[in-house]
Amino acid sequence: MILPSPQRTIVRNRPKGCQGAWVLAAHAPLRWGSLKVGLSWALAGVCCSSWLGAIAATAPSPAPAEKAVRQELSRAILAEDPERARLLNEIAHSGSTIAQEVLTAWTRDGVYLYDGSGAAKIPLLLEETPDSEGKARAIRIDTGRFLAGPDGHDLRLAAADLGAADTDMKLRQTVQRALDTLALADPNPETRRSAASKLGNSAKPQYLAVLEDRLAIESHGEVRRTLGEAIALLHLADTNPAVQLQAVRGLAAANALGAYDVLKRLAASTNASPEVTRAADLAARSIALHLDWVNFFGTVFRGLSLGSILLVVALGLAITFGLMNIINMAHGEMIAVGAYTTYLIQNLFGAGFAFSIALPLRLWGKPLAFGLHLPGLNASGGLYESYFLVALPLSFFTAAAAGLVLERTVVRFLYRRPLESLLATWGVSLVMQQLFRMVFGANNVQVSSPAWLQGNFTINDVMFGYNRVFVIVFAVLIVLGTWFMLAKTRRGLLIRAVMQNRDMAACLGVRADHVNLMTFAFGSGLAGLAGAFLSQIGNVGPGLGQSYIVDSFMTVVVGGVGSIVGTVYSAVGIGTTDQILQQALGSPVLGKIIVLGAIILFLQWKPGGLFPTRNRGLD
Amino acid sequence: MMGRRLKDSHWWWVGLGSLVVLVVLPGLNAFTSVTHPLHVSDFSINLYGKYLSYAVLALSVDLLWGYTGLLSLGQCLFFSLGGYALGMYLMLMIGKLGQYHRELPDFMVFLGYPKLPAHWLPFRDFWFAAAAVVWVPALVALIFGFLAFRSRIRGVYFSILTQALTYAASLMFFRNDFTFGGNNGLTDFKFILGHDLRSPATQRALYLCTGVLLLLTYLLCSALTRTTFGKVQRAIRDRENRVLFSGYATADFKLFVFVLSAVIAALAGALYVPQVGIINPSEMAADKSLEAVVWVAVGGRGTLLGPILGAVGVNALKSWATRALPDLWLLLLGTLFIVVTLFLPKGIVGLPEQLRQLRRRPSRVVRPTAQEAPPAAMPVKPQAKPE
Repeated sequence: MILPSPQRTIVRNRPKGCQGAWVLAAHAPLRWGSLKVGLSWALAGVCCSSWLGAIAATAPSPAPAEKAVRQELSRAILAEDPERARLLNEIAHSGSTIAQEVLTAWTRDGVYLYDGSGAAKIPLLLEETPDSEGKARAIRIDTGRFLAGPDGHDLRLAAADLGAADTDMKLRQTVQRALDTLALADPNPETRRSAASKLGNSAKPQYLAVLEDRLAIESHGEVRRTLGEAIALLHLADTNPAVQLQAVRGLAAANALGAYDVLKRLAASTNASPEVTRAADLAARSIALHLDWVNFFGTVFRGLSLGSILLVVALGLAITFGLMNIINMAHGEMIAVGAYTTYLIQNLFGAGFAFSIALPLRLWGKPLAFGLHLPGLNASGGLYESYFLVALPLSFFTAAAAGLVLERTVVRFLYRRPLESLLATWGVSLVMQQLFRMVFGANNVQVSSPAWLQGNFTINDVMFGYNRVFVIVFAVLIVLGTWFMLAKTRRGLLIRAVMQNRDMAACLGVRADHVNLMTFAFGSGLAGLAGAFLSQIGNVGPGLGQSYIVDSFMTVVVGGVGSIVGTVYSAVGIGTTDQILQQALGSPVLGKIIVLGAIILFLQWKPGGLFPTRNRGLD
Repeated sequence: MMGRRLKDSHWWWVGLGSLVVLVVLPGLNAFTSVTHPLHVSDFSINLYGKYLSYAVLALSVDLLWGYTGLLSLGQCLFFSLGGYALGMYLMLMIGKLGQYHRELPDFMVFLGYPKLPAHWLPFRDFWFAAAAVVWVPALVALIFGFLAFRSRIRGVYFSILTQALTYAASLMFFRNDFTFGGNNGLTDFKFILGHDLRSPATQRALYLCTGVLLLLTYLLCSALTRTTFGKVQRAIRDRENRVLFSGYATADFKLFVFVLSAVIAALAGALYVPQVGIINPSEMAADKSLEAVVWVAVGGRGTLLGPILGAVGVNALKSWATRALPDLWLLLLGTLFIVVTLFLPKGIVGLPEQLRQLRRRPSRVVRPTAQEAPPAAMPVKPQAKPE
């Protein structure tokens, strides 16, 4: 945890990736198939090495401010009151992370005093992991370097041999207070905010001064708001009804969600003045109402993001099922192909990927087994985070390629037998699921979101996750792209012609076979893209596609088979309804059941879906 | 349909099969000693009983799909409903012999039910449970079928909707507060009609019941398919609109067949559960129904022997493969399905005829099935999308 030495920081930042890639390319036993990939990764590794090298060279040297804080800390530990209190107060306003670490260690008796050569005592921290003799290197608090003996080597000391810097009840309180203030002065606004709300909820009026001090110098809007709320929360416990009343009104006006419970308690309490309880009751109600709205919009937002994934999945299906009349039960596995591609790319950017399958069969006396080892790039930082940008197009193309193979080997025989396409593709889906299990394991695999997709922003207390926003935006782009392709391009015209009347189009010289192939591949590719998104939001496992296949077929049927617009409406509608019902009923399963039931009833009313395809043909 | 020669000889086959299944196998199990080379073990009888109930399920799928052209992906829902109805009776017959030694079934004690839910009470009576095996699935099929056929949902849409129905039902049964044991379902059965379920004699009796049910179902289906009703049924499969315009209420025909096959499936499920000893919601998952469709497709749809052969054959293969090649079973099943759909549209039963045709016309391997081949006299039909 404690890495005060600047040299060490640089060591940690040194790019391991390039070295690893070199080693793998040069020495690792490469099996078939991996050689080419390995070389190209090695090349990529060289490129990244120079880049990361540049970053490492510009690592910041210790700031002068840090030195000053260290000196102050050291003095504070050795000093006595009131000098110590003064120093601590000064440190508290520095906002330094080192101070935070040292002070935390201090409250836990983790600061030691070294009584070396008879000179002044030196305050120390010990390294986290002691060696077998229970000794560890000591870090001087005043300089941040390892404590060296007379011979210039780092000294190794045991905690038991050193005296801990003495602490008592009062000192701990002072230090804790300094720590809280420190957190309020943290450079990261999010930390400041959470520190403020923690202090507000502490119900300890002694923090009022700290919070008010901070409010006076705080400039960040969100943090100012939280500080105000925290102060009002602490004021609620005041004995003066006027102060209480003002605090209650302030909280109500700010719609402070965190104050709801406290206000409820205040409204029910008997020793507050009636005026205050009434105001508190009103405030609690208005906050409850606000909370309902926040939950509602949060749900709608989640529903929209779910709907947009459903949309991308169903859009692929609307093309293969709606336009081509092929029931592709393996569509779900195309989603899984996309998700696993993302996983694979993530691993290739990281530590690499290997698998091996041993079949329980023997061929000419030899056991049948094969495996593949793909060395990774061992990238870190920005390069690693960008894996998703590579994975997105690749997941599309991998799934499209899988679709291509599926069309050539199975689907093309079944264009006139839709029911049987259902059966055959279900067989394909079984095979693919089993293959996923064999290659990637039966358990879910971990796909981590890149940093730029993590986190969220808040508008009026409604939380918007970046990944979900990204999914929605991308879904819109995909829908627009698909629409443009189908409606405005020559290829789209050919697709529509073939889908409307395969024989007639073929008679007029359209290469129907080719168009079918490409359309099917495109639909599968869309499923792959959906898989890449899903990997950012949910789990990736061999059964991933199965959980979406029923939903997406429903989406297409409700939207009206053959209608892209209908699919858009029904995907967003079903996704949002699903989420709202889940929220309202408090159970995901019940919501799903109701949605499925509602769909069956809806088809009574509109058998052709929302946008039925009009047609004069009968059979 | 079957050739004349086959038709004449086919009753011989039915008789022989019944003899083996209903007399020889149980006889060998009951009256030979364990060491006798021809002895059929209790385990095998139990296994065969399972296959036979699957064969009944396959027949019900065939009646719907092979003869009426309705590919239901929810047939296992009715199978499980029948199983659950009898399972409830079996559950209550455990009495105080359960893990917790309480009147309540174990899972209810475990989930903290204060007392037996009201709808469980009548299931103490075997005959009520037996009636429920029939009427509950029939009612579900009636309501769903009425809604579906009324709005003229057909073809793949029917398949997708039935799949959604099963999916919704399995989600419901997975819930603990649905009072049917949630995830674990109903299990640990001890007695049926006062007989110990673990005794070989009881298992043999259940096996015999299943065999008789299979024979009766077979006879019923073959009688049904030879009447005018059967002809209308097949006409609906081949050209529904023509039948409709000839004045037949196709929706009613389809509804009748749908309910009938639901009842058959439910009976199969009711006999399956005491032999296997457990029923849980995974039995009604959509892939189980699809598996039943595979049996029919492999055996040969639109025939009555095919589904039985398919169900027994595929399940025997499964029993072997899940033990010998556990990792490869799904690969095998999937491949089997692809191959059968692509190259054997008439299944095993249709294979001899297909080979004969192959010899006559070697150029066309994959023939479109009867339902897709347009009649020769029909004018060129504009290709249309489903309305």
